[in-house]
Amino acid sequence: MSFLQIVEGPLFYIAAAIFLIGAIWRVIGIIKIGHKRDLAPPKGSGKVGFVAGNLRHFLPRKIFAKRTWVHIIAGYSFHFGLFALLLFAAPHIDFARDRILGFDWPALPRWGFIIAAQFAFAGLIMLWVRRFSDPVMRLISDWDDHIGSWLTFLVMLTGCLALQESHNALKAIHMLFVDVWLIYFPFSRLMHAGTFFLSRGYTGATYGRKGMTL
Amino acid sequence: MMLHRLIAAIFFIALMLVSVTTINAQSVRPPGNAVNQSTDEQIGTSNTLGPDSQSKYWHDLRQGKSGLSTTGRSGGLLIQAQGEQWRLIRKNYIIKYSGWVLAAVLVILVLFFLIRGKIRLKGGRSGQTISRFSLPHRTAHWFMASIFIMLGLSGLILLLGRTALAPLIGKNVYSIFASAAMQGHNLFGPLFIVALVWMYYLFVPGNFFKMVDLKWILKGGGLIGGHASAGHYNFGEKVWFWAVAIVGLLISITGIILEFPWLSANLQLLQISTIVHAIGAVGLIAFALGHIYIGTIGMEGALDSMTTGDVDVNWAKEHHDLWYEEVTGEKSATHDQGETGHAQVYSQDKITGV
Amino acid sequence: MSAVAQKAVSKFLEFIDADIAAYAESCVHCGECAEACHFYLATKDPKYTPTYKLFPLVKAYKRHKAPLSGLKKMLGLVPAEVTEDELREWEPLVYDACTMCGRCTLVCPMGIDIAGTIRKMREGFVAAGIVPEGLSVAAANAERTGSPMGVTLKALSAQIVRQEKETGIKIEIDKKGADYMAILSSMEIMGYPEIIGAYAKLFKQAGVSWTISSEAFEATNVGVQIGDGKMAKMLVQRIVDAAEKLKVKHVISPECGHAYGALRWAGPNMVGKEFSFKVVHIIELLDQLRREGRIPAGEKDGRRMTLHDPCQLIRRGGLLQEPRTLLDDSCSDFIEMEGAGIANLCCGGGGGVSANERARELQMAAFAQKLKQINDLGDIDAVVVPCANCRTVFEDGLDEFEVDLEVVGLGELVAETLASK
Ligand code: HEM
Ligand code: SF4
Ligand code: SF4
Repeated sequence: MSFLQIVEGPLFYIAAAIFLIGAIWRVIGIIKIGHKRDLAPPKGSGKVGFVAGNLRHFLPRKIFAKRTWVHIIAGYSFHFGLFALLLFAAPHIDFARDRILGFDWPALPRWGFIIAAQFAFAGLIMLWVRRFSDPVMRLISDWDDHIGSWLTFLVMLTGCLALQESHNALKAIHMLFVDVWLIYFPFSRLMHAGTFFLSRGYTGATYGRKGMTL
Repeated sequence: MMLHRLIAAIFFIALMLVSVTTINAQSVRPPGNAVNQSTDEQIGTSNTLGPDSQSKYWHDLRQGKSGLSTTGRSGGLLIQAQGEQWRLIRKNYIIKYSGWVLAAVLVILVLFFLIRGKIRLKGGRSGQTISRFSLPHRTAHWFMASIFIMLGLSGLILLLGRTALAPLIGKNVYSIFASAAMQGHNLFGPLFIVALVWMYYLFVPGNFFKMVDLKWILKGGGLIGGHASAGHYNFGEKVWFWAVAIVGLLISITGIILEFPWLSANLQLLQISTIVHAIGAVGLIAFALGHIYIGTIGMEGALDSMTTGDVDVNWAKEHHDLWYEEVTGEKSATHDQGETGHAQVYSQDKITGV
Repeated sequence: MSAVAQKAVSKFLEFIDADIAAYAESCVHCGECAEACHFYLATKDPKYTPTYKLFPLVKAYKRHKAPLSGLKKMLGLVPAEVTEDELREWEPLVYDACTMCGRCTLVCPMGIDIAGTIRKMREGFVAAGIVPEGLSVAAANAERTGSPMGVTLKALSAQIVRQEKETGIKIEIDKKGADYMAILSSMEIMGYPEIIGAYAKLFKQAGVSWTISSEAFEATNVGVQIGDGKMAKMLVQRIVDAAEKLKVKHVISPECGHAYGALRWAGPNMVGKEFSFKVVHIIELLDQLRREGRIPAGEKDGRRMTLHDPCQLIRRGGLLQEPRTLLDDSCSDFIEMEGAGIANLCCGGGGGVSANERARELQMAAFAQKLKQINDLGDIDAVVVPCANCRTVFEDGLDEFEVDLEVVGLGELVAETLASK
């Protein structure tokens, strides 16, 4: 078996299994900790608040955004770029069709891919440089933050370096980083992608019960 | 102030666009790869290149498929004589000397470090700080730095790789490096322009030359002993700023021409562009090595401004005394020996407007 | 782990429910929250970053309670045990540098409720006996008299008699079967007793039957502020008992932010049963009476006024519109500060911070932010502050910075601008 076959074959399936099981385990683990029943008579609906909280926190507030706009732009640029790459890059769609799902969907054209990648890179780089150039960020950041950013960066970078699609070695390196990333994910803060809805939602639910404006 | 910067930034972008478009105005053609191809017999899987993947070209070529070897504009031309000159310039001058230039700069830096050592703060650290760069300034700087490093590395692989790397790692492995470097270089290139404009806009105020700069030069920048007064930026920093701005602009323009070659039918333009692009880039990289040196191991207290945004009061007084005075309204110790600042040093608003 | 640290950690773990677990899991260390916290804004000291204040709790969670922590522990990937030194280092962050105002939650992309988590975290500090001096005194007072300032029934009675004289209205104490039972904060009783007269006047006009209990008249809940669950419960229980004894239908929470949250939202959970009465906030009640036409507005106050939004009432209490409608009726020249409403700045003294002598300098630095926000409005004659605690913080701060600005309570203002019968 060639190196490429390993990283996109058995190693990939193992990594994907760890990713899925770990991530689900962790989300369920949090939910299972549970709450005490709230005895205070509610003024509004907790369920509505859960959803509202999730939606509201997508939108920055003007009074804070005036100071933090660089961060907001970087964050959105990175995440949108990343999702576009992850879901609509032609090789990803092919991979998903051939190895996992059996069906496909329209892919980004090449120029769309490049632009999405540029947004993702610009955003991620800005987010990361902010991490070491701001006293607040220096104080609160730990290894996990840096490893998460770097792993994601390397996955994206190796993917883009393989864009010519003429060398199996480059593809294999990309897949290797993908596998490492998948294994790292459930144990790390990258998990925020799977837990953010809970934290926004729980706060939203509390607010909802109190009849608070968001 | 605001207006002036805005105008400067717009001017800068306009210049870039104008130069690219006028160069190419007469030669807007359909993209070179917009060739009539029979799409029905596609080979291989689809990919990010669409049906026009380069590997597919090669595949088709090897199969002897017709209609592929010329792709439009330079159709009739078999040999362009200047091409040989260009090849020689590239090989005998650029590739040959750029490696030596960079090596020489490194040697000089090492020697300088061994002889002069780290430039220490005479008064030590005071523990008090004043703010120097706002977070957007720092972010823009590091954004530029990251992009620059990636472009520099991939660019050097492309420029020098065949001469310096290939003999070491073998042609096959080098071809992988080259492919990766090319894709990376093309991907990050446009981001360099974004970084350049952003950085220019934020850093241009305070970077215009003034009389103090002349005095600073005469005193050798204080590097050789003695004190050279400076405002927010000293002469050396100003030169670095304008080198980045102007050479960066040149690299950007030539880079666009090279990344989108179908914009122009003029082969000579492409040849000149590669030469300007390479010389400019090597020059900037050489300068950057010096910049990185002085910002890290070369000078005590310098890195703080880009990691925390604040610098030690003593650092400000020793290296940017005029700026210190302007910001705090207080005489710096270099003029008034003895006294260290106990005064109000948190005049943030004044400084972050830089 | 030392016994002291052990106590704190077990309390942390006990209080970590799914909410707090989700917060600890989701914080991406993005640092946005610093931009919302008045303590960070005032000092630019990174240690006042809200999420940083939670670090010991998060550490304990990641080591002992997080899903997959068992697996990670085997690989040596969990954080170290929380130490007593750490707790002592964090104690000023948890007590002096958080007013539990909830502003950071607004800016947090993950919607993390730092304020609520700090409240739970303080339970751990109390259990370990690591609490600031000033607050222990307040707690001892409350233990003894039920009131953090040690206000006794005698003091209250004296104030009531004075207010009866002033208004000419009889105020009945311990009236069985009244519809409403009012409780007051110590600050009001000692500093702003006019509010008692204002209640008398307003309720007389509206025809509301009300009373004050001689057994439970104190609204401030030091237990909640300091994080002492047992005491918090005892103080709530006292109010519940009195209300049940007098068979009232409603308890009126006064113009005091934390007291409202403590009784209205946390109260039933502390005593472990639903109340037999409803808790209403005085502003809610006045708004309702106004809408029912029972306290029609008269001539407006012409002074140029602005409104401070007490965090626990507005941001965390949901009473956003009510004070504004009341003010529009009472005041002809009312303007809002920048960021008014739920994103308004905290006065800097809530959550027990103003009772904590050690925190004074920090509190004043935070108040300076508030002051700047008001000064930015230009000429202002008075600021309406519907919370007795915020009000003392304002008066103290204005004094400190030698600013001439009048501070008024909302209840009094409504009473003063009532249409005369
Ligand atoms: C829709 C769900 C998601 C939300 C709401 C979200 C939100 C955030 C936020 C607020 C940040 C902080 C940015 C900062 O550090 O300043 C962040 C960082 C990050 N996110 Fe996400 N994210 C989501 C999904 C994802 C996914 C699926 C990935 C997986 C690739 C991901 C990867 C990252 C990485 C690597 C960082 C760190 C960047 C840094 O160094 O700050 N996120 N995310
Ligand atoms: S709740 Fe308020 S005081 Fe506490 S950390 Fe958040 S913003 Fe700061
Ligand atoms: S804003 Fe929220 S997610 Fe960001 S560091 Fe603060 S608490 Fe964590």
